[in-house]
Amino acid sequence: MNIFVEKSGITRRQFFKGAGILAATAVFAGVLAKIGIDIYKASDKYIEKRIAGLYTLDEKMTIRKSHENPEIIQIYKEFLSPGEVRPLSEKAHHLLHTKYGNDIPKLITELTAHGGHHAA
Amino acid sequence: MSEIKGKVLKHSEQTRTMHWVHLICFIILGLTGIAFYFDIAGIVNLFGGEAAASDVHHWTGVIFTLAPLVYVLFNFERFAKFIDTITTFTKDDLGWLKTMGGYIPFIKAEHIPPQDKYNAGQKMLGLLVIAGCILMIVTGFPMWLLKHSMPPVLVWLTWKIHFWTAVILILAVLGHFFLAAIHPKSRVEFASMMIDGYVDAEYTSHHNAKWFAELKKAE
Amino acid sequence: MNTVATKEIINIDEKKCKSCDHCTSVCPTGAIQGRIGVKHYIDHKKCVNCGQCLINCPFGAITDISMVEKVKKALADPQKFVVVQTAPAVRVALGEEFGLEPGTNVKGKMFASLRKLGFDKVYDTEFTADLTIMEEGTELIHRIFAHAGVPGYEKEGPLPQFTSCCPAWIKYAEDKYPKILPHLSSAKSPQQMFGAVAKTYAAEKLGINPADMFVVSVMPCTAKKFECQREEMIASGFQDVDAVITTRELAQMIKEAGIDFRSLSNEEQADRLIGTSTGAATIFGVTGGVMEAALRTAYEILSGQSLGVVEFKAVRGRKPVREATVNIPVKELGKTVPLNVCIVTGLSHVDGVVEDVLAGRSKYHFIEVMNCPGGCINGGGQPIRRDTY
Repeated sequence: MNIFVEKSGITRRQFFKGAGILAATAVFAGVLAKIGIDIYKASDKYIEKRIAGLYTLDEKMTIRKSHENPEIIQIYKEFLSPGEVRPLSEKAHHLLHTKYGNDIPKLITELTAHGGHHAA
Repeated sequence: MSEIKGKVLKHSEQTRTMHWVHLICFIILGLTGIAFYFDIAGIVNLFGGEAAASDVHHWTGVIFTLAPLVYVLFNFERFAKFIDTITTFTKDDLGWLKTMGGYIPFIKAEHIPPQDKYNAGQKMLGLLVIAGCILMIVTGFPMWLLKHSMPPVLVWLTWKIHFWTAVILILAVLGHFFLAAIHPKSRVEFASMMIDGYVDAEYTSHHNAKWFAELKKAE
Repeated sequence: MNTVATKEIINIDEKKCKSCDHCTSVCPTGAIQGRIGVKHYIDHKKCVNCGQCLINCPFGAITDISMVEKVKKALADPQKFVVVQTAPAVRVALGEEFGLEPGTNVKGKMFASLRKLGFDKVYDTEFTADLTIMEEGTELIHRIFAHAGVPGYEKEGPLPQFTSCCPAWIKYAEDKYPKILPHLSSAKSPQQMFGAVAKTYAAEKLGINPADMFVVSVMPCTAKKFECQREEMIASGFQDVDAVITTRELAQMIKEAGIDFRSLSNEEQADRLIGTSTGAATIFGVTGGVMEAALRTAYEILSGQSLGVVEFKAVRGRKPVREATVNIPVKELGKTVPLNVCIVTGLSHVDGVVEDVLAGRSKYHFIEVMNCPGGCINGGGQPIRRDTY
């Protein structure tokens, strides 16, 4: 019975095609990696831009320090600590401060017992 | 037509081994992938539950990548010849594609041009599988290993490519299986890849006339 | 008090989840369960509601609860006096929803569009950010005095003091490090301060019954939706902040109302009374911003001198954990005190800092913690970006 077998050895053309497709695959993977890295770098540029946006806004403001805000001075003088600018006043504590974790139930009882701001 | 006796060694042992390994990996990857997509508990449990199925998919992917790579490194000649064959398209191949090799019942095929070791359809499948596997690999590994550093848009892109390539590959491989194992005209080739590597010389002289002529010349 | 909507702010839509596992890498607290190929879900006990998973989900499968309908109902109700506050980070991101570059200042357009939407008063969270600095900064000064042994400050809390503006950080500290809570500034966040003063001070000045006042905040943040529902946030006698909408939801409302956002004037101002702000409040939206704002005020108050250059560039940047030392000549102590400060952005980096404090190894006086990488400008309620170039 005849057995037909391919002869061994390859032509130059076959070699270059074989090597070529391997090289092409490597180049393809490289190009994809480059695209991936570019996208990676661009993907969070917006954070930088928003940060810059807020810093620019800050620079444009005429008043740049909290304690110089005229309405802050007003709310202390007229409401939180009448007559003066005194943070951590009793009213400020009641309205502007809170408690955390296990202290919360007691705070809620206090707040509801006082009937809120009106009794404070 | 004259009677031709004998057999042709179509696929070497290494080629058959690689084909087997790749096939098994493909089935496992396909099944786990389908289970992930459709959230099919039955298949997931087949692979040992959610956590295990995820690992199975990843590590099978590693073998799926390494198997052809090792094959190419140790069988570069075979690989180079294969590439040469499947990337060479002549008038005869176009002629085959016009009639679809006579496989489609509604297309009249009075004369099918002589074919190489692989007919035009097989050549196209070969190219498709190579391109598909490369895409699966270059999208699969980043999704697994770089998931913590990839931006969302890249996860989205790699996922979409991985998914659609998988769909195309599964359909292509199903067609491949049908023609190579079930279709009465070509199922004799099944044994050549899956078992001993041999095909009848007579069959080859019809189906792969150009290749057979070369083999005869080499005798 | 309004009924609590829900405290499970962030949810994964199982139908849309593609099991890519990307969210687990951005979750700062490990609250998301799942792995590649497995549908993910959120453990709400561990979730700090920051929404980082939401803005980073490649498939848009994660959503936050919405209070937009509640806001629309209040706007349509003639009985309700609807007051709105907007966080600093919103004004440099809202424009993105209308095709503008990130960082574009749309402050005026934002106020104009809020007026067009029918809000009765358009105020600014930046006002209460300034108020926060007053309270939190003074608290810090008192703690430093207590630490230095100045008589009269014995009852003050321990050093270092942590900031308390970030609701994700607060929940994280309460859940994981109850022992660190005395170190947290007792000052509420600007959002909650606003609610409290709006329904008391502003209601009084405007002659509005606080029961009819409905306070809405526009936030870059999903955790603020949790914060406004906290049961203790009732100092005004009512739920201080009634509803929170995100930057995205405001953009949606503007679009639905058919307002041509880009053609609005950018010169509009917030209403007076509790709407004036300073640059110090503006930078609250950036990591290191609260620290810088506090330093500007603390330095001037402690030293009695005016700052020549108001910028503290040492606290700026995007590194997850940064530190700086500011030498402050303290008039009351008659010597220069080196103030060691630390800034953490990204909750996943806070553990080491907190554990150092608990072990007594920390050299810091003041520590700013913000959950989102980069600060509130990258919050879970901000426009979702998928930039590729």
